[in-house]
Amino acid sequence: MTRVLVPCLLAALPALAQPAGPEPEVGDHGSSESAGYTPPQATQAPFRVSGYVDVGWAKAQGNGSSFVPGDTRLPADYYVDPFAPAVNSRGDVASLDAGGRFVNGFLPYTVGAGGKGTFLLNVASIDLQVSPSGLPVLVFIRGQALPRWNGNGSETRFLLQQAFGRVSPFSSQELSISAGRFDSVFGIEYLENESNLRLGITPSLIARYTTGHPLGIKLFYRFQLPSIASAISINAAATNHGSQVESLQAETLSFTGVPVGSTRLGYELSLLGTELKLGVSGLYGPRNDQPDPGVTQRQLGFDARVFVGPFSVWAEYVDVDEEPATAPPKPTGTGVYTIASGFRAHGFYVQLAYALPVHGRVLSGASLYGRYDRRKGGFDGTPELLTSRWTVGGRLELWSVLQLKAEVLFNRENAGAPTVDNDVFTTSAVFSF
Amino acid sequence: MGTVTWMLALALGAAPAREWPGAEVPLPLAVRTPEDLAFKAVVERRYLEFNLLSSGKLAYDRGDMATAADRFERLLALKDLSPDVVAVVRPLAEEARRRAGGSRVAEPGPAVIAEPPQPVLATVKGQVAGGGALGPGGTVVWLTRADAPTPRPKSIERTVVQRGKQFIPRVLAVPVGATVHFRNDDEVFHNVFSLSRPNDFDLGLYRSGDARDRTFRTPGPVSLLCNIHTSMVGYVYVVDSPYYVQADEGGSWTIKNVPFGDYQLHAWHETSLEPVRRGVSVQAEAVTAPRLTVNSDRPPMTFVPDKAGKPRQTQLGY
Repeated sequence: MTRVLVPCLLAALPALAQPAGPEPEVGDHGSSESAGYTPPQATQAPFRVSGYVDVGWAKAQGNGSSFVPGDTRLPADYYVDPFAPAVNSRGDVASLDAGGRFVNGFLPYTVGAGGKGTFLLNVASIDLQVSPSGLPVLVFIRGQALPRWNGNGSETRFLLQQAFGRVSPFSSQELSISAGRFDSVFGIEYLENESNLRLGITPSLIARYTTGHPLGIKLFYRFQLPSIASAISINAAATNHGSQVESLQAETLSFTGVPVGSTRLGYELSLLGTELKLGVSGLYGPRNDQPDPGVTQRQLGFDARVFVGPFSVWAEYVDVDEEPATAPPKPTGTGVYTIASGFRAHGFYVQLAYALPVHGRVLSGASLYGRYDRRKGGFDGTPELLTSRWTVGGRLELWSVLQLKAEVLFNRENAGAPTVDNDVFTTSAVFSF
Repeated sequence: MGTVTWMLALALGAAPAREWPGAEVPLPLAVRTPEDLAFKAVVERRYLEFNLLSSGKLAYDRGDMATAADRFERLLALKDLSPDVVAVVRPLAEEARRRAGGSRVAEPGPAVIAEPPQPVLATVKGQVAGGGALGPGGTVVWLTRADAPTPRPKSIERTVVQRGKQFIPRVLAVPVGATVHFRNDDEVFHNVFSLSRPNDFDLGLYRSGDARDRTFRTPGPVSLLCNIHTSMVGYVYVVDSPYYVQADEGGSWTIKNVPFGDYQLHAWHETSLEPVRRGVSVQAEAVTAPRLTVNSDRPPMTFVPDKAGKPRQTQLGY
């Protein structure tokens, strides 16, 4: 052994002088050069292009609509909820086949698939955002293509869904003023109304009242209350029409010249790991589907969001009241109709979601969600319809750019409307760029 | 002194019939702190003395005077050798040298033979490319040892300010254990957070002039966001090495004071999912590393999440 040891020792003498094994803590050698890096402003592009493409496959029960063969009441769309069998994030329905009966414009857009399963190219959307360096200004444009090749459905549309400029005039205040065409300020569903933002696929039963894109001016102001980890915000807008979706709105122009006022007052509680957001919304102004400014629309809404760890709850309530028009016609996004009836509705939804603890490189997220919707509404002279919906679904996020979603809608006609098989299974793949 | 006595007794007494203990050197002692290093140096000095004593005496006893003289002379050449050891060894060394021929018997005192040499330090330079439209500026470049454990970096403190609704610096490299102060230089509130596991954090709301701290204990990228301002995006990259730097706007970088050895060279850019890696040997005082092109494989941020992970639209609100 000594014959082994001694040569080893001698060979190891240099190593003895330089400690091996885990090395000691040493200083910050690069400290003089590691104070961080901020790129020169010239290399920071003032504009950003992003967007998404949403494709899917869907199948609805029955003939894909809420209309019941044999129901002869007119207008047919006053006696059912034609928005119920939605198949995509736009709220487009599988079918609006009313069997040739007269309808009066209470209609969503449709993909015209009927009861057949079909692939869908729902939306191709592109955003252009320009924010010149050093200026408190932002210009935002969102253009969308909604190809509809099925001759039974709505026509292909190209939308300038949003186009506005925003200025934040004070560096010391959370204040911004926007002018142009923008998201409604009513409620909260507009926050995730795009396919790439929405947790699930289809909008709620009350989204038709809150997720339009009016034209006008809006102001946002938020005041922080750090001592109670809270903030109060106000979002107020004066626009050419209300917050109803495009299929129910006539134009982006004003028929009366009198703006519609809308606002949301919000409260946020932000704790570590927990957030609570509450809001109350109101809207008042002319209906904007006929020229008499004295015929008004009114909406009131409440919303709540709670985020606790992987759980989130969204809930929203809205009450809608439209006065009857004094004269026909009633232009909407789907055509010009005969009667501008008085209308009242109220409804709510509650959505619970759970984000699974998935944070991989490929599978970057996964969620399960369920939502309950309930809506009661009716036109003058017709019975109020009570409908509800259970939605359950799941969502996978791949490589942070691809979302795969699938959900089932269980639509129920609880009162006032004939029961109809109009449940929907729908899927969506959203690629974001 | 007790140790020395024990060693002398063992070395100069009857030759053991069994194997010597601890044949392998260097000794497998963990070194994680300066105290660990000092301890290891003491043990290895004792170990060296012990083995020179032992092997010298073994050679002496079997009549291998040349080897015995060599071992004893190496021992006597050690700096600060105990007088007890000198007193015992010197006569044996002189006798072994006389019988082996020659006259060299080292004087105790300063000598270079066993003095731990200072590690030779190098400067490693290089160039990175890529980074897309952002360019390679800010690329985090670091070295980890391929032939030994990488030293633990010293804890440091750095500051990232929020000014003009931006993170400055936008990209900051820090070593594991570093504490970063997030200071609000704006007139409005900020709420800096990150969803980058396992370095995720939420600093809560804080006003102008205030700062909140975060210590980063896990290597990897950390995306910085503000829960109020969707336009604010920044990065901290936590490296597990003391040998790191960030490339300048043109992609050039220099790491100084790198001990000789074999290394893995890493480079990460804010457009990277994974760092790019390359082996590099540091065997000269000035080394030019191979040119690296950073990965730009990270998908673009298609939306800016809030601290609950919900997507936000940057054009909304404030």
